[in-house]
Amino acid sequence: MRKRKLSDILLNSITAISSSITIVLLASIFIFVFKEGLGALSLGMFTQPYWSENYYVSIPQSEGEYVLDTELDEDVYYSSKHGIALRDDLDPQHEAIIVIDYIHPDSSFNALTNKTSGPLEGTEIIINEGMIIRKISYLGTNGVVRSAGPVVKQDAKETVETLEKSDVLSEAFIQSQGGGILGSMIATLYLILISLIIALPIGIMTAIYLNEYAKFHKMAPFIRSSIELLTGVPSIIYGLMGVLVLFPITSAFGANGTSILLGGMTLAVILLPTIIRTTEESLKVVPQNFREASFSLGANQTQTIFKIVLPSALPGILTATILGIGRIIGESAALIYTMGTFINDDPNLLHGATSLAVQIWSIMNGEQPNFALASAISIIILAMVLIMNISVKTISRKLFKRW
Amino acid sequence: MTTTLIKSSKEKKRFKRIQDQFTKSMFLLSAMISSLMILVIILFIAQRGLTPFMPDYKYGTQDLFKFLFGMVWRQDQAIYGVGFIVINTLISGFAALILAFPIAVLTALFSVKIAPKKVGTLLETTIEILASIPSVVYGVFAVGSIVPMIQTIAQGFGIQTAGGSSMLAVILLLAIMILPTITSISITAIKAVDEDLEKASLALGATTTQTNFKIVLSAAKSGIFAGAILGLGRAFGEATAVSMVAGNKMFGPTLDFFDITRTMTSTMLAGLKETIGLDYDIRFSVGLVLMVVILVSNLSINLLKQRIGKQHA
Repeated sequence: MRKRKLSDILLNSITAISSSITIVLLASIFIFVFKEGLGALSLGMFTQPYWSENYYVSIPQSEGEYVLDTELDEDVYYSSKHGIALRDDLDPQHEAIIVIDYIHPDSSFNALTNKTSGPLEGTEIIINEGMIIRKISYLGTNGVVRSAGPVVKQDAKETVETLEKSDVLSEAFIQSQGGGILGSMIATLYLILISLIIALPIGIMTAIYLNEYAKFHKMAPFIRSSIELLTGVPSIIYGLMGVLVLFPITSAFGANGTSILLGGMTLAVILLPTIIRTTEESLKVVPQNFREASFSLGANQTQTIFKIVLPSALPGILTATILGIGRIIGESAALIYTMGTFINDDPNLLHGATSLAVQIWSIMNGEQPNFALASAISIIILAMVLIMNISVKTISRKLFKRW
Repeated sequence: MTTTLIKSSKEKKRFKRIQDQFTKSMFLLSAMISSLMILVIILFIAQRGLTPFMPDYKYGTQDLFKFLFGMVWRQDQAIYGVGFIVINTLISGFAALILAFPIAVLTALFSVKIAPKKVGTLLETTIEILASIPSVVYGVFAVGSIVPMIQTIAQGFGIQTAGGSSMLAVILLLAIMILPTITSISITAIKAVDEDLEKASLALGATTTQTNFKIVLSAAKSGIFAGAILGLGRAFGEATAVSMVAGNKMFGPTLDFFDITRTMTSTMLAGLKETIGLDYDIRFSVGLVLMVVILVSNLSINLLKQRIGKQHA
């Protein structure tokens, strides 16, 4: 008896310890991602491009004093002679940079012209707060052109002091910070649209066929198993299939190589089994009485399906859509083959781009993996996935309540 | 008046019938497209994957034997042997399964049968969230946490590692990734066990724990095995996360767990940006081998399950 109790307690404790592993795991993943990425997370990420732009500009003559009319933060240094405020900051590689904190509305920094030789020389360049100063050249006291900024190892305070001493600034080398996810967000949106437009109709119609027409047909199990087999296929294989089978179709549309269109079509195939399965489940829940009542009122099967059955199955179809969106956001391997890995700040349906997940892959695969940015994007993805999960749960609960 | 009414009613009936036929064929067409997808995938990849070994291949016919059993893979020298890569993939997959399977089944048993209801729901939600985390995020986590951890452990033993990227990292990562899959399927299987079986066991004098481990687990066996098969398939097919921690060794097989390694999926993704010609095509061949490996391992485990079933019956 004692031995039985002892072994029981032992087994139960081992089981409890094993279970705590899952919770520890989830906690570690979230803690890691938040620790690394929270610092890099900013609202600006959503509107900024990824690649940093370089601007080599000439600065027009300043018009004298620019009085400061707004409040600036503690460590921001303002040059009233030129109407620009600078502060120190760290870039993702933890190197010291000088960021433009504020530009006075009348400052000559609003009317810069492009100095890079080429077709765009002389055109107007607009710079914004948030961009980085690499170098500002000014006319020194003895008439010699000198440099100020990080290039001569000055920080924000020293740079502003140097600039205040000079009346004439000649040129500057400015960079936009980059590291934004605007391109990838737009590309992900396109992806979601394309794949759902293709997968939802085909998936729903297949589910309707399986449940409304061929429920007890001898072919039905065969069709179901061939669809179930698709769930066991690794996503990278779908990528290979997309490149082989769907590429000719995108070529017909004018795409040369990887494209968002190709990625979307491939994703549609990946989503198909999930959509079919979920829709079939929600169709099964619709009471048979509804259909029989509809028939007895003289409707044909088409009318019954579109007017009675489908609307009742709508919550399930919504669930399938949300699950699909969650899958799209997380998909990477298939998209690497069909959409490429080049982070595109101006995504176009017929060209390659990156979804959020693939952008993480691209960042991590470079020479210097930018952990902060990768983790920040991971936070965004995790938040989206969590929202999807919660939505699916609430909709399923509503679905059960109805019947 | 009456004659026109009867005519339009007949027309309506005809219209309804034709409409029904039309929509039925539309739905049937969708179903055919969906069910043919798997065939399309297999056929096209098989065809493209076999072309490098066909007589008049554009970039020089490859030797199938050397490909399948070769132990070296070098992009720069155009030597492509997938043999050791298959072994690596099998080792990493099965090791991950051995690691994750017990934890998954015990967690499933605990959350369904042993834990108080609230704890059980908490565990199930945790598993669901873990299951929906994308692979890249697991990859980032692995590179940031697991890899440095392995580096420190290895240094403690005086072993050299390539910054921590190693077979061990791959195995740990895969075990973490397939854990939610196996657990959630096991939970479903355990929940489906007939209550009468448990009650009968308790009535015969067994303790709850004895019942749980001897009766419930055996009854849920087929579901749990299905979970293991799915988990193994996922371990073999996982691409982006694995390629972040593998290291891509040029020869093998890797039997030293602290050594860098290479799997079929990491091979398919390595250097994708600058590939042309044979190097690109050979990835389809690797993909074909991957599908065969997954199929064969599924069948073997199914056979194993049947053998065990016969023993107990």
